[in-house]
Amino acid sequence: MVFLVVVAVYFLIPVVWLLIASTKTQAELQSTGIFSLPKRLELLQNIRLLFAYNNGVFARWFLNSIIYSGSVAILTCLVSAMAGYALAKFDFRGREVLFYVILASMMIPGTVATIPLFVIEQPLHLVNTYLGVILPLIASPFGVYFLRIYIRDVVPNEMLEAAKVDGAPERTIFWRIVLPVIRPAIVTLLLISFIGTWNNFFLPLVLLHNQSLYPLPVGVDVLLSLIATPAADQSMPIYQLVITASLLSILPMIIGFILFRKQIVTGLTQGSVKL
Amino acid sequence: MAPFILLFIAFLFAPLLYAFYTSLFIERFGQPIFVGFRNYVNAFQDGAFWSSVVNVIRYAILQGVIMIVLSLILALVLDTKYARWKPLFRLIYFLPYAVPGVFASIMWGFLYSKPLDPLLQALHFDPLSSAALLYSIINIATWEWAGYNMTLYSASLTGVSTDLYEAAIVDGCNEFQLAWHIKLPLLRPTILMTVILSFIGSMQLFNEPFLLSALTPISQTFTPNMDIYAMAFNLTNLPYAATLAVLLGAITIFISACVMIAARVIGRRSRERTALRMSSEEVLST
Repeated sequence: MVFLVVVAVYFLIPVVWLLIASTKTQAELQSTGIFSLPKRLELLQNIRLLFAYNNGVFARWFLNSIIYSGSVAILTCLVSAMAGYALAKFDFRGREVLFYVILASMMIPGTVATIPLFVIEQPLHLVNTYLGVILPLIASPFGVYFLRIYIRDVVPNEMLEAAKVDGAPERTIFWRIVLPVIRPAIVTLLLISFIGTWNNFFLPLVLLHNQSLYPLPVGVDVLLSLIATPAADQSMPIYQLVITASLLSILPMIIGFILFRKQIVTGLTQGSVKL
Repeated sequence: MAPFILLFIAFLFAPLLYAFYTSLFIERFGQPIFVGFRNYVNAFQDGAFWSSVVNVIRYAILQGVIMIVLSLILALVLDTKYARWKPLFRLIYFLPYAVPGVFASIMWGFLYSKPLDPLLQALHFDPLSSAALLYSIINIATWEWAGYNMTLYSASLTGVSTDLYEAAIVDGCNEFQLAWHIKLPLLRPTILMTVILSFIGSMQLFNEPFLLSALTPISQTFTPNMDIYAMAFNLTNLPYAATLAVLLGAITIFISACVMIAARVIGRRSRERTALRMSSEEVLST
């Protein structure tokens, strides 16, 4: 029991520190103990400073993160559902081979393809665009694999055959029968894919060179790199900006995570344990 | 099906093939010149790259062992009847999964920074010194991923039928023996899975050292991915960056495959041994 509590403290320390640090002024941060509470809560003041920085570019990064994560999550679900449905319920040549290629591609380190991706996106004019970040993330081998298992186990063949006998076109079957039946799995994949994109750093770092297109992690990296510059201590409370930005970036994820933990766990365990 | 295959080919297969293709050229005055495998020959003599590979393999092994042992202990302890408030602990341990690696590195980075941390000042210990850096990064990665792996183990433990446990308890197993002799062997496939995933992740190590380099000097070739990134964007040598990327991918896949094959062989051996022992015990008891 003691052991469990000690480990829990270890996991909570950085987050608790962040909460406390974001309520201090920069002077207090350097003069008081790391876990000592400040005399006055400066959180609102820090948030105001953050949103004022560089004409409110932080709000822009936040919005960008929502755009990237939201569109990647929705499109991944749609594309994976179509592919998973085809792999689960259609008989076509090369189906098994294709499935194993998809499985094997989960073994390829993602960042290995990122630099070449940059090279390929240049002539397509996708570098420095929203689409350039979103499109590569939609092709998710995990999503296809996860939904294939789910569709194979959950969608009854009789139902699909009955619909075909009634003369329903393939498109209607997919939208009206398959998607509603697999809704729980779609919600799960939506969450996993949203978190994955929100946390992604390397891909947008490589593909974007325009600050106004950055998602939160890349944006905050820009702030962080200012710490080493001489301006950090005098004109700008850069530590406070980085700390407050970090808090505001992870808080929505933590709250969403606590609310939806069950769905996320089902997805992660179904996808990886059954492998 | 078609949209996925299209995206899959365009954004996963094509870049990989194209990476290999570009790695066969060098750039002179903006013009690509075909040089065959010369980039690879150069890469094999590139000391900085190989020392970064050694760095990251050392990191992968150390971090992997520490994290997986911790996750296993947590999952097994939470699976005993003595643990209370299980849902709360599971939630707390899994929470860092929701924290982007960049912010985990920033939080720990500040906690590591001496001017901000009186405890470190008192201990005369600097986690950001070059001697301690690797371990400091191991701590960040363990914080980020231990709960995730624990969750996978916990889930496969709850899938086990309780009959097996009851039979073992009737036979006089205590909680520790139950965990060691029954639960751990049952977890073997999941453990193998997490070992491979963690290894693939470790070989791509980038975020943590890249972020920490804002707080302390870190070599640009500390990990292969940092080397590749610097090669592509600071030195703008894309063909050579592609060469190194292809090599890193090949090394990762090769080692992962070796681990999987080794695990299969060991698994088969231990099953054979168990069968042998059981049959010899039967012979002895008759």
